[in-house]
Amino acid sequence: MQHFHHRIALEFTLVLGVLAVVACLPVVITNPYWLGVIIVSMYFALLASGWNLLAGYTGQFSLAPACFAMIGAYTTGLLAHYFSAPPWFGIAAAMVVAGGVGSLLGRIVLRLRGPYLALTTLSFAEVIRVVIGNSYNVTRGDLGLNVPGIFDSRLAYYFLFLAVLVLVQIALFALLKARVGLYLQAIRDDEVAAASRGVNVVFWKTAAFTISAAVSGLAGALYGHFSQLVSPELGLIFQTGLVISMVVIGGIGSLVGPVVGALLVYIASEWLRDVGGYHLIVFALLVILFSRFFREGLWGLVRRALAPARAPLPAATVKRGWL
Amino acid sequence: MLILDLIVNGVIMGLFYALMAIGLSLIFGILKVINFAHGEFYMVGAYAYTLIALRLGVPVWLALPAALAAGAAIGWLTERSLMQPLYRGYTSWGFMRDEYAVVVTFALSLFLINLVDKVVGPYPHRGPELIAIPRMAIGPIMISGHRLLAAGLALAAVIGVMLFLRYSAWGKQIQAVAQNRFGASLAGIDTGKASAVVFAVSGALAALAGGLLAPLINATPDVGSFPAIKSYVIVVLGGMGSVPGSIIASLLLGVLEGFGAVYISYDYRDAYGLVILILVLLLRPQGLFGERAREV
Repeated sequence: MQHFHHRIALEFTLVLGVLAVVACLPVVITNPYWLGVIIVSMYFALLASGWNLLAGYTGQFSLAPACFAMIGAYTTGLLAHYFSAPPWFGIAAAMVVAGGVGSLLGRIVLRLRGPYLALTTLSFAEVIRVVIGNSYNVTRGDLGLNVPGIFDSRLAYYFLFLAVLVLVQIALFALLKARVGLYLQAIRDDEVAAASRGVNVVFWKTAAFTISAAVSGLAGALYGHFSQLVSPELGLIFQTGLVISMVVIGGIGSLVGPVVGALLVYIASEWLRDVGGYHLIVFALLVILFSRFFREGLWGLVRRALAPARAPLPAATVKRGWL
Repeated sequence: MLILDLIVNGVIMGLFYALMAIGLSLIFGILKVINFAHGEFYMVGAYAYTLIALRLGVPVWLALPAALAAGAAIGWLTERSLMQPLYRGYTSWGFMRDEYAVVVTFALSLFLINLVDKVVGPYPHRGPELIAIPRMAIGPIMISGHRLLAAGLALAAVIGVMLFLRYSAWGKQIQAVAQNRFGASLAGIDTGKASAVVFAVSGALAALAGGLLAPLINATPDVGSFPAIKSYVIVVLGGMGSVPGSIIASLLLGVLEGFGAVYISYDYRDAYGLVILILVLLLRPQGLFGERAREV
């Protein structure tokens, strides 16, 4: 436990450091296109952090993060469209609605694990996307909904996204540093053992789904106001694939991994796009290589390089011998 | 005679679904993981058949086996290169085997889609027909020559795989590994090789489906995602890992979809199967015909 506290404090410091660098970037980068790229990468950093709480710390590999972003974006979009609700209200409502749907999904999949969990969350995400995409009367289907913007300047959006990202990181750090962090990781490592030591598995698993979905919904709502258009494309399974790639490349199950992964992958992909559009092939290949050979991601590699002298952590024991 | 027409066309669709679902089911049976790149095996089959026949000018009856071989090769390579960590059970860090399989097959799917998108191009490709007989009436049913021949080949492949699994030495070994990997290895079965054979067979079947449907589907790089989702529904419905179950569920889904599109709302048609999938997983996780896993 001491080891974990030490580690997560270090990771949190690093995240703040990375975000401090991001805060200084507008001094150098004034081109609105590249400011937009960094804003979208911060959107992905939010999604990646939320998914990492659920997948990396709680062990629940949901395939629905993009779906919750879409739910959040449509919540604020529909509120603005039909009731002319102000953005701050829409964004707050997006968190509540996405969190509510997330807790519902969490209750539904409570007993499922592994491939069953993946299939159910994938189907859930697809059903919601199909329903939103085909309800032309309400959502205008694939045409998408126009959403009012919040600011006129890119820079204002930039610092809004940055501020939200910092707040989410602080909240995640506080959550993980408290006993809750240990509960979640205990559930990830062995649900039965966690329950036997008094962890309320049902409650904390549902809570992880709820918080993760609320963060995704928040990200989606902000993105909706930034791009001023929400469409069912936000919930494509491909977007989920992108989020997973970022977390795996950055380092799953750490605070700093998802943020760095999202920033690096998205900014590099925009950069590589000009070179010939091979960026998605490269990233898919990187994800395969990382998960096959360095499961701890970039952050794991850095950590190993920083502490070469320390004895390796004991390998986890073989859980089941049947395969 | 609309009903008879719907049933026959539904069964034909079901046969193509079965080609996809059998492979997915076999992989689940032997490794207890879902292959999220299964739709891309299908896509590779469609592209291999189309490009070999049209760009290289190879006759269609040679291009089809070539597509089959391409699918088998990609399945075999997938198993040899990516599935090895699964046999060691719990991996070194908190990244568990189920999650590893989800991430790695998901990434493989992303990789194959974008590779084809970049190398061949994002434009739709239409494959040549196996025989050029236009739609004709057989009794009350309207059907094209290609569709009839493709359905016959699909049926032959389904029966062939059933016989292979039941009577051949490899098939029996695969069944043994699916029942109990550890027990099978004690009995001297090379479990790694059995898994590789399963992946090759699955890839070949999915590629065959892609090749047979190539003249009907206008293949684009992401053409596989739709049949893949269909086959997830089927394997869940038929019971994960049960081959006969997935065949019956395929035929059932093919027929039901035909009727649903005509008699129920068309708009949300893509959502019905997925809702069924969620309900089955929650209420009857072993599916309609599945058996509970036997563990030691």
